[in-house]
Amino acid sequence: MLNRKIWMNGVLAGVMLVLGLLVPFVASAYTGVTIVMSVQTPANLEFVDQFNAELAKNKQINLRVNVITLPDTEKLVVAENSELVIALGVKALEAASKLKRSTPVLGVFTPLPAFNSVMAKSRRDLGNFSAIVLDQPFSRQISLIKHVLPEAQKIGILLGPTSSQYIEYVREEGEKRGLNILEEKVNQEADLIPQLKKLLDNVDAILAIPDPTIYSRETAQPILLTSYRYQKPIFGYSQSYVRAGALAAVFSTSKQLAKQAAEIALKSRPAPSELPPPQLPKYFSIMLNYQVARSLNIPLMDEDEILKKMLESDVPEAM
Amino acid sequence: MINKGFFTLSLVVLISFSPILAAEEKPINEVSEDDYIGEVPRVLTVSRLSQSIADAPSAVTVIDRETIRASGIVDLPEIFRLVPGFYVGTNAGFVHNTNHAVSYHGMTTAYAGSMQVLVNGRSVYSPLYGGVQWSELPIAIADIDRIEITRGPNAASYGANSFFGVINIITQSPSDQLGASVSATYGDGRHEAFARYGAKQNDLSYRVTAGYRDDDGLDNRYDFKRTRLLNVQTDYKLDSKNTLEFELGIVNGERDDDETINTTRYFEPRSRDINNHYELIRWRHNGSENSDFSIQAYHSMDKSDDRIDTVNLTPPFTHLVSPTLQINNDIEMERYDLEAQHNFSFSQTLRGIWGGSLRRDMMYAPHYLGNDKNDQFDLQRMFGHIEWRPLNKVVLNAGAMLEHNDFTGSNISPRASVNFKINPNQNIRFGVSTASRTPNYLEEKFNTVIVIPRVAPRLPYLVAYVIDNGNLDSEKIVSKEIGYLGEFGKIKLDTRFFRDDIYDYIQSSVNHGFTAPGYATVRNPSDHKNAGDVSIQGFEAQAKWLVTANTNLLLNYAYVDIDANEAETARNINMSMPSSTFSGLLTHRFNPQWDASYAYYQTSEVTALGDGGYVGLARRSDIRVARKFKAEHISGEVSAVVENLFNEHYQEFADYNTLKRRARLNVRLDF
Repeated sequence: MLNRKIWMNGVLAGVMLVLGLLVPFVASAYTGVTIVMSVQTPANLEFVDQFNAELAKNKQINLRVNVITLPDTEKLVVAENSELVIALGVKALEAASKLKRSTPVLGVFTPLPAFNSVMAKSRRDLGNFSAIVLDQPFSRQISLIKHVLPEAQKIGILLGPTSSQYIEYVREEGEKRGLNILEEKVNQEADLIPQLKKLLDNVDAILAIPDPTIYSRETAQPILLTSYRYQKPIFGYSQSYVRAGALAAVFSTSKQLAKQAAEIALKSRPAPSELPPPQLPKYFSIMLNYQVARSLNIPLMDEDEILKKMLESDVPEAM
Repeated sequence: MINKGFFTLSLVVLISFSPILAAEEKPINEVSEDDYIGEVPRVLTVSRLSQSIADAPSAVTVIDRETIRASGIVDLPEIFRLVPGFYVGTNAGFVHNTNHAVSYHGMTTAYAGSMQVLVNGRSVYSPLYGGVQWSELPIAIADIDRIEITRGPNAASYGANSFFGVINIITQSPSDQLGASVSATYGDGRHEAFARYGAKQNDLSYRVTAGYRDDDGLDNRYDFKRTRLLNVQTDYKLDSKNTLEFELGIVNGERDDDETINTTRYFEPRSRDINNHYELIRWRHNGSENSDFSIQAYHSMDKSDDRIDTVNLTPPFTHLVSPTLQINNDIEMERYDLEAQHNFSFSQTLRGIWGGSLRRDMMYAPHYLGNDKNDQFDLQRMFGHIEWRPLNKVVLNAGAMLEHNDFTGSNISPRASVNFKINPNQNIRFGVSTASRTPNYLEEKFNTVIVIPRVAPRLPYLVAYVIDNGNLDSEKIVSKEIGYLGEFGKIKLDTRFFRDDIYDYIQSSVNHGFTAPGYATVRNPSDHKNAGDVSIQGFEAQAKWLVTANTNLLLNYAYVDIDANEAETARNINMSMPSSTFSGLLTHRFNPQWDASYAYYQTSEVTALGDGGYVGLARRSDIRVARKFKAEHISGEVSAVVENLFNEHYQEFADYNTLKRRARLNVRLDF
């Protein structure tokens, strides 16, 4: 499993140790959950709604859900004695990481590198500090590429300071599906377009891996326009990148993340906290940009059709 | 001394602090949830997404930067030799000595004006004669991103003058290439220097290009030209949905003008002063995923000064320089244009564009129009175009343009086409497209009479070039085609059979109605009239072959057969396009540093109209060798081009244009 390897080889070296300590789950262990968010974004609110809905669906109406927004309670004392704190976003996770070490914290809407650095700073242990990260498994992303562009052979990736740690995993997943992964390094913004052009000369499509040096609001225009001029599609990692002009992306919605979080809340045990190790999104969606496809003369199957095929081959995450 | 010291100090301070400042401005940030769920401004909006060539209603050739670079050209119109069905003639004509003739499917004249030419959506054809002064366009070739050439009429999308075809020149967006670049060219009769600077500050990106070029032209002609240009392009992002774009261009220079070689040679060689400028503003609004709106306004002024005080008459009349002779041959063309368009997509299968524009052309050309007035020409148009896919493998395109103008009143030009996708790699297109061409000033209102005073007792000599009676109808074209696009491995093929029927073809004839005043000896003038119909048929093919990862081959071929029904001029019209044209461009990259390209152009015999003449089979080979280099803070390229490598001494457009071998060296540095 690729994702297992990330934990093993990546910054989180101790995951396996913790995994070994895991005890079989005991159902409905918690009686109260505190959800912390830094701002009331639509995505956060949707998460809360769906989380409650999931609990109701599982007849867990006794589980109290308390929602707090960061600016209201700067120090989060209210959450201090919660049985489980779910932190929405990196800022909320940072704040929650400063809670008493015995308070279990589950981060949601947090990319893996951010989770790693928050955890490193907080010196917390994995057993009571975990996350459902935003990163999609590369196997899933490669699978999307194969279903959308069956004839593609070479895929390009731009690697910045943050994303360069993933090259081996992408390459391995690519090899499994017969895709040759070509990479170019981008260390500063000025290199971005020249390096992108170099890649575009040699590949069938670009797979975007989040890295603030490379993919941002400001760079979306030059990246998408340049690739478009080369008539090569981009596989993004978010809905809005697809709306902006990427061909397709695999991502998890707030609802899907809420469902996964509810599952964790229901299955994990209270103190001594034993949260499952950080996990990848279990449920996912895809989005295709048909207008871009048409302009690039790429025949596309129906979105649902592709998703169905992807689900067939997707190995669910076993934690 | 104190001042100097202070200056040096502040420079040191600036230099030593700037990297720190830069580092502080941009802290190294981490990926956050915002990267995944935050909004990204829409980039490939409905209007930016052009139709794939397989869905397009007409044949389209796209020439990109790389092709322009590989071709080694320094004069923009030369690139059209790489478009099937085009004919390009160097330094054509008696009046526009320095300008290229660019024609498609024939009717080649020095003043060919049957094509719409746009630079970033701004129409640049001259209302005076319908053509373009190519060397006076305020753009540097290095700033061009690509040129899209629609082969065939496309009035429904591009409006007035989109008669035989549309040339759409698109420059790089300001944020495409940041930093500074300088380039210098030295060669036989040609010198150029360009500097460019591009930068981006938050929501503002801009590019400034300044340049100089001069060209001695051909050995036996008065065709020197010199151009200094400045071009500024700015994008300002108001928010994620609104962008403002500004453009400004200034050109000044000189161009030789002389009615050389004409049997009746009136004016002595002289040089015109050129002063052109334009300003453009565009607002783009991305309303939603399915809707885009833009409105643009521009103003342009093309001005050339020319005072003539000498006349050279053929025997029996004698050469004459008279203090009393003063011909004001200044030309001022001003254009105001306002255009709005809305792109939308109704559903997955239906999308479209519609809009309208208002234009006013103002023309001051006393020598040509016979009066000192600033003549006005107004044009209003509305256009619409939809693309519909009733089935997965079928694309229908339909559109129309409604135009009203001061010369010919109202016209409507519809079009329709259907594309069948046999499979993702093969496509057949059937299309009918119409367009009308409004007569230009030199067809509708040409009125030149020169009275040349002579020593008594003989009467003054009166030269009347053209006395237009006006009231011409528009020229109309109906173009039908069957196109085939195919992809076979690494080869992309674009072919089509076409038939163009032209009605009310405008051409010059003798003005029999002209009565000369009794005091003058007269040379009879001509007139313009709608003179019958012409049909053009033929075949075009373009092949792009990616031979290896480092070798590209582009091949173009066209066969064109013209048939005019008007007996008196039919023979000339029929010869106004080479029946076969062929061109090819082979490029090869030896390694990341070295690359080379070879271009070959061949045109069969042709007798161009309007100042042209018979020229035989012409062959030309150009070669370009380039080496790129890269150091820590600087990169660049050194290249050498040899035009007409085998020195064929061929003629182009007319037998007075003999082309010889020319070589050039270019150095470009990017910082």
